[in-house]
Amino acid sequence: MSAERWKDDEALLESLRKGDPGAVDELLRLYQGKIFNLAMSILKNESDAEEVAQDVFMTVIRKVGTFQGNSAFYSWIYRICVNTCLMRLRGKRRNETVSIEEFMPVFTDEGMHASPMDDWSKEVERDALNEELGRMIRKYTEELSEKYRVVFVLSDVEGLSNEETAKILGLTVPAIKSRLHRARLYLREQLSRYLREGKAG
Amino acid sequence: MNCQELAYMLADYFDGSMDPRLHEELDRHLARCEQCMAFTKTYHAVSDKARRLRRNIEYEIPPEVGKRLESFIHAATLKFPEEIKGYRKQVERDRRQKVAEFVGAATAGKLSWATEILLETHCAACKECGEYFDAFRTTDTLPDGDPPEGIHSHLIALMQTLPPGEEFFLA
Repeated sequence: MSAERWKDDEALLESLRKGDPGAVDELLRLYQGKIFNLAMSILKNESDAEEVAQDVFMTVIRKVGTFQGNSAFYSWIYRICVNTCLMRLRGKRRNETVSIEEFMPVFTDEGMHASPMDDWSKEVERDALNEELGRMIRKYTEELSEKYRVVFVLSDVEGLSNEETAKILGLTVPAIKSRLHRARLYLREQLSRYLREGKAG
Repeated sequence: MNCQELAYMLADYFDGSMDPRLHEELDRHLARCEQCMAFTKTYHAVSDKARRLRRNIEYEIPPEVGKRLESFIHAATLKFPEEIKGYRKQVERDRRQKVAEFVGAATAGKLSWATEILLETHCAACKECGEYFDAFRTTDTLPDGDPPEGIHSHLIALMQTLPPGEEFFLA
């Protein structure tokens, strides 16, 4: 996947720099969905995400001539998108939708699991569950506060390495790992509850 | 290692950054603790599932949003063709510079070992470039001005086949 992406990006970058006719269309074709979805997953609001997408593409087109190429083209675009989103969120302090602490695993004083664990990992392999699971993962991801959400989306959903995500967000790798870990614990717990209730119902 | 400690190390466990001895200890715990096995498997399923679901889904943008975005960008890019022209000129200048450095390094025998081989292979197959570089060797002269357009583009292509970050000349 990443080799393909890299090849496409190289060609696109080249033609954007040359100002080839059609380069901007190609940029939009390849990235408008990704950027819009990334912005949506951070901002959770369609009109905000639309405006951010406009800003992101304008920035990319204006600055492509000065892009140094020290990082991959897609990670540069993601960074622009994340920064644009975070700037928009600033000042609009949102209330935390859920308290992540309530969904962390609980242990006894001896450090053993306090409640029984279901292993539903095989169950979710079934294709029939895909659509429903996709919806639930999206829903639970949106409930996370932005601090966790952005990291989970970049690392686990988009599949970027911890180093790439750290670079995009301007955080250290350990900070990325700890947020990612907590986001996964939260989603794991939510999915467990969902699947357990689904079975009971 | 108890269950709680295990749970806190799972990110390291899956991204491969874990100390091998801890890794073994964790595996030993998993082998004898059903609770942790279930926890670990479902923990892994979260990221695994998130990624695979995303891969199957087309990145969707509502059609009307996409259309608005396109017309916005088109209208906006019309406003700064001058800016783009400036960038293009800069890129052209940078490339000319790069090619000049390359030809300079080649004629001074300062190409890196790998680049030397690439250039030789290319010159053996390409009459135009072969003759261009031979001329310096046989007449013991140095290049004067930019190489012809055809050679320019061949050299650009050659430099682009080098791995990113690889310098073509010797320090």
